[in-house]
Amino acid sequence: MNNTRGKPVTREEILSKKPLHILEKIRENLERLNEKMEVMIELQKHGRKDAQPLPDTPLDVMTLLSMPDHLRKTAMTICRCGRATANEVSQQTSRARAVESAYLNQLVIMGYLKKERKGRKAYFYADRDSQG
Amino acid sequence: MKMGKIVAVHSYKGGTGKTLFSVNLAATFAKHGKKVCLFDLDFRAPSLFAILKTENAPCWLNDYLNGNCGINKVLVDLSSQLQGNGNFFAALANPSTEAIRDMSAKDRKWEMRALGRLLSLRNTLLSDQKFDYLVFDTSPGLQYSSINAIVAADFVVVATTGDRSDVNGTRRMLRELYNLFEKKTGLVINKVLDPTSKSKKDEMDTRVKDLYQVPMLGLVPCFCEILRAEGNLIFVQDKPNHPFTKILDEMAKKIDANEVN
Repeated sequence: MNNTRGKPVTREEILSKKPLHILEKIRENLERLNEKMEVMIELQKHGRKDAQPLPDTPLDVMTLLSMPDHLRKTAMTICRCGRATANEVSQQTSRARAVESAYLNQLVIMGYLKKERKGRKAYFYADRDSQG
Repeated sequence: MKMGKIVAVHSYKGGTGKTLFSVNLAATFAKHGKKVCLFDLDFRAPSLFAILKTENAPCWLNDYLNGNCGINKVLVDLSSQLQGNGNFFAALANPSTEAIRDMSAKDRKWEMRALGRLLSLRNTLLSDQKFDYLVFDTSPGLQYSSINAIVAADFVVVATTGDRSDVNGTRRMLRELYNLFEKKTGLVINKVLDPTSKSKKDEMDTRVKDLYQVPMLGLVPCFCEILRAEGNLIFVQDKPNHPFTKILDEMAKKIDANEVN
């Protein structure tokens, strides 16, 4: 078997790359599963009514005022930073990363924040630029 | 290096002296050698253009919040009007009836973007251009623009008077708005009668803490000279030895040293 430059690829090379790729995929899927479980745990803790999405409600100051205290703190941090990971938010709020991750994902489900993955990191932000 | 601060000046009711306080606080910071910008966020009743006697900016603050220009197109450099080596800039609200009507009809999505633009001043003016203070003069009560200013600020000065209607509203506002946003706040009691004695000051201090549950930044007596000036003076600049100027000096030093507890 040849690679793109025509140099033969050894059997050992194929075997060493493939498991790494598979492991990376498994890790990504586990992280996603973990985030979903964190959200479910938080929803159970605080009651489902907190997470009912309101269509087309922007993350403005009135929305911030009407939020439960635990979510307001997280949402305010995103407002100030513009765009941040759960880890960066947790440094500002002095709460655990897993807790912030759950709150951030809850805010995404509620439609107030957007989430974007870049490599291994997930960034959260308020979508200020969309029309409507 | 010390990062600059955003100070918002707010009140529950109108006529409590917010604009007088904002102008003179910003001018005091500039007199102390700081680089300061005063913002007119009272879009329903703009007044800084009249007090500062200037309308020369290529753009209004309204244009910046609408996303039509950068903040540097809005800033008017008024440093030459002040003594000392500080820098004094102003960002003015458009006083035309059309602009006031336009700002009153904004929707929630616009207000969210406006909050984003106010928050981004932290990067453009405080971090990049090394401003020491941005002073936001706001509309009274629970207006969108005022709450945006409060959320964007590091420290909020609440101006109030002894008037019964103001006291109740201010208490509610502090409890139901400021507490929720966890804002560092200092109260200024304005138009106080006879606050000269130390015992009277201490008594007021204790009463204010009991009543409002927030620290007091200071007391401002009722000065007839301020009324007589009819808004024609920047008092701390034109009357350097007046007691009002000395009170503002102390308050600016307290804010600067983070001593409002």
